[in-house]
Amino acid sequence: MTTKTLFIGMDGCTFTVLNEMTRDLPGEGVTMPFLAGLMAKGSRANLRSTPNPLTPPAWASIMTGVGPGQHGVFDFIRAEDKGGEVYWTLYDSRDVDSEMIWSIASRQGKSVAALNFPLTAPPPKHVNGSIVPGFIPAKHLRRNSTPGLFERLKEAIPGFDAKELAWDFDNEKQALEVLNDNDMEQWVRYHLPREEQWFNIAEYILANDKPDLMAVMFDGTDKIQHQAWQFVDPNLVPAEKTDFYNRMRAVCREYFANVDRYIEKLVTLAGPECQVFFASDHGFTATVETLRINAFLEELGYLKWAANDGSEQAIRREASDFANLDWANTTAYCRTPSSNGIHIRVSTKPGEPGIEPDDYVPFRDKLIEDLKTLRNEDGEPVIVDVLKREEWFPGQHMERACDLTLVLRDNGFVSIRNLKPVVIKRPSPAGTHHPDGIFMAYGKGIAANGQVDRLDIRDVCPTLLYSLGLPTPSDFEGKAAEPFFTENWLAEHPVKVGKATVGGGEKAKAEDMDEEEKRQIIEQLQMLGYME
Amino acid sequence: MAATHAEYVKQLIVLLEDFTQDWDHEFEGKMTPDTRLLGDLGFESIDIIQLVVAIEEDISKKKVPFDKLLMKDGRYVDDLSIGTIADFLVGFV
Repeated sequence: MTTKTLFIGMDGCTFTVLNEMTRDLPGEGVTMPFLAGLMAKGSRANLRSTPNPLTPPAWASIMTGVGPGQHGVFDFIRAEDKGGEVYWTLYDSRDVDSEMIWSIASRQGKSVAALNFPLTAPPPKHVNGSIVPGFIPAKHLRRNSTPGLFERLKEAIPGFDAKELAWDFDNEKQALEVLNDNDMEQWVRYHLPREEQWFNIAEYILANDKPDLMAVMFDGTDKIQHQAWQFVDPNLVPAEKTDFYNRMRAVCREYFANVDRYIEKLVTLAGPECQVFFASDHGFTATVETLRINAFLEELGYLKWAANDGSEQAIRREASDFANLDWANTTAYCRTPSSNGIHIRVSTKPGEPGIEPDDYVPFRDKLIEDLKTLRNEDGEPVIVDVLKREEWFPGQHMERACDLTLVLRDNGFVSIRNLKPVVIKRPSPAGTHHPDGIFMAYGKGIAANGQVDRLDIRDVCPTLLYSLGLPTPSDFEGKAAEPFFTENWLAEHPVKVGKATVGGGEKAKAEDMDEEEKRQIIEQLQMLGYME
Repeated sequence: MAATHAEYVKQLIVLLEDFTQDWDHEFEGKMTPDTRLLGDLGFESIDIIQLVVAIEEDISKKKVPFDKLLMKDGRYVDDLSIGTIADFLVGFV
C-alpha cells in the first residue's frame, strides 16, 4: 500500500508571505527552498474562504465540500438564543452536519489519517485509519484520538509530548492580545516545538501506515501571523530595522524554514507516485483599527449592556469573550468577536423580548443602513459590506448563521467590549484573516501551470477525493480543481460525479433525535481570545 | 430500562478515573458520590465541556440537556459532585 494523496493544511497561510519565503531575498536567501521547487513544478490558486473567513467554518468546508449553511458550523462557539437567555457551548465533530472526507473515503475502501484538524473530536465514527484531533487540550487528547492510537504514538515516537503538542487554551488566548516584546517573541517560539511534534506524528504514520489519504495540518502559521504580522508582511518592512525587528523576523523565518523541512520529508516519504496538495482555511492581511461593534449598537439604541453587580462571577463574565447584555432590552447584538456578525432578536411568542417577526425585513434594512453610516476619525467607512444570511449561507442551517455578517474595510475582527470610542486605531498593524487563502498541488499528473484562477474552499474536498480516484458526491457544492491537473491525467482519469454523501455527517451519528438535543450546554469562559 | 442513581455513580466513577488518569491533579483518594469536579478533581471549564461530551458518548449514548444541570437561575453552578450528575442523569436519560 502506498499513499496516493498527501494533504498538508497550513492554517491561515497566504501567498503574501509564502511568495516571500520562497524567493531569494537580500540578506536572507530562500527560507523555504523545497517548497519553492514544488511551486515551480506545480499549480496554485488563491482560495476563496467562507463568507466569514474563520477557522472552524472554513476547515469544515474543506472537510465536507459544502458551505456553512449546509454543514452547520459557523464559529468556535455555538449559541442558541432562548428568548430570555443565551446558552453557549463549543462546536465539536458531532455538530458537523455533512459527511466529512474521512468518512467518505473510508466507506469507499480507502484508509485515511487526519492530524490536527479542527472539528475531528470526538473522532469521527466509521473511519478506516487514524485521527488525532486539533484544538484539543493535552488532558483530553488521548480520549479524543482514535482508540489506542495515542498510546501507540507515545510508545513509538521518541520525545512525544502531549503537552507540547496540544492546544493550550490559556496560551492561545494571547493570539490577539497586545503583547510586550518579550511575550511576543515567546509566543512565536512556543509554536516551534508544537509543529515539530505534529510533524513527528505525521512522519511516523506516513512511514508505518501509508494511508491512502495522509492529511496533517500545521496551525502555527495562523497563530504566529496574528501576533507577528508586521514581521512577515513585505509591505510593512520598516525603513530602519531595530534589534527586536531582526529577532522577530529571524524567529518567524525559523518557523517557516522548519515547515519547509517537514514538507520535504513528508513529500519525499510519500514518494513520486503521490499527489501533494496544500490548502489554507483563509489568508492573512493587516488590520489597523478596532471596531467595538456592540458599543456602536448601543449608541444606535439596539442593545443595552448587562448590569454588573460587582460579584466575582459578574466581573469574570464581563471580561469573557461573549456578549454580556441586558437581553430583555436588546434587539441586535454581536455574540462573539470571531463571528463578525450581528444577530437580530426576533420574538417567537407574545411577551418575549425582541422584534415582531413581521418587522424583521424593515428592521434589518434600517440596521444595515445604520451600520454603513459609521466612519473612522479620517472619515473613511469602517463597514464596507453587510452580508444577509439567506444570500451567503444558504442551506439547512441558514437560520443559525448571523442575520448580518460584517465586512470591515481592513478585514479585521470586531471587538464586543464595552469600551469607547467605537472605532480606535491600533498602536501597530496586527494580523487578521483575509478571505483569500492558498491552494497548491504538486506531483504525478499535476500540471506546471503556476498561478491559475481563484478557486473556492469547497473545491478542496472534491479535489482530494478525485486524487484518491473517487467521484465527487452529487450533493457537494464544490468541484474538483481540474486546472491543477495535466490534460493527459484528466483524459485518463475523468472527473466523475457519484452518489450523494451518506447521512448527515457526525451530527446524525451522534444524535438520538431527542427534542432536547437542541438545548445548549454550557458557557465556555476560557474560549479563544478574539479580542482587541 | 433506565439506570439507577447507584449505577450512574458507578459508571461516572469508571469514566472519571479514565478521564483524569493523565492529569497532574492532587486528588489521590477514591472517588465517591461526594467527589466534586472543581473542588476535588481540579476541573476547569473546558474540562466540563469535555466531560459532557464523554458522558454523552460513553454513558447516555445520546445528547442530554446539560444546561438544566449546569445553569441555575440564569447563572452557572460553582461546582458539581458525581452524585449530582448521577441524579441528573436519572431524570434526563
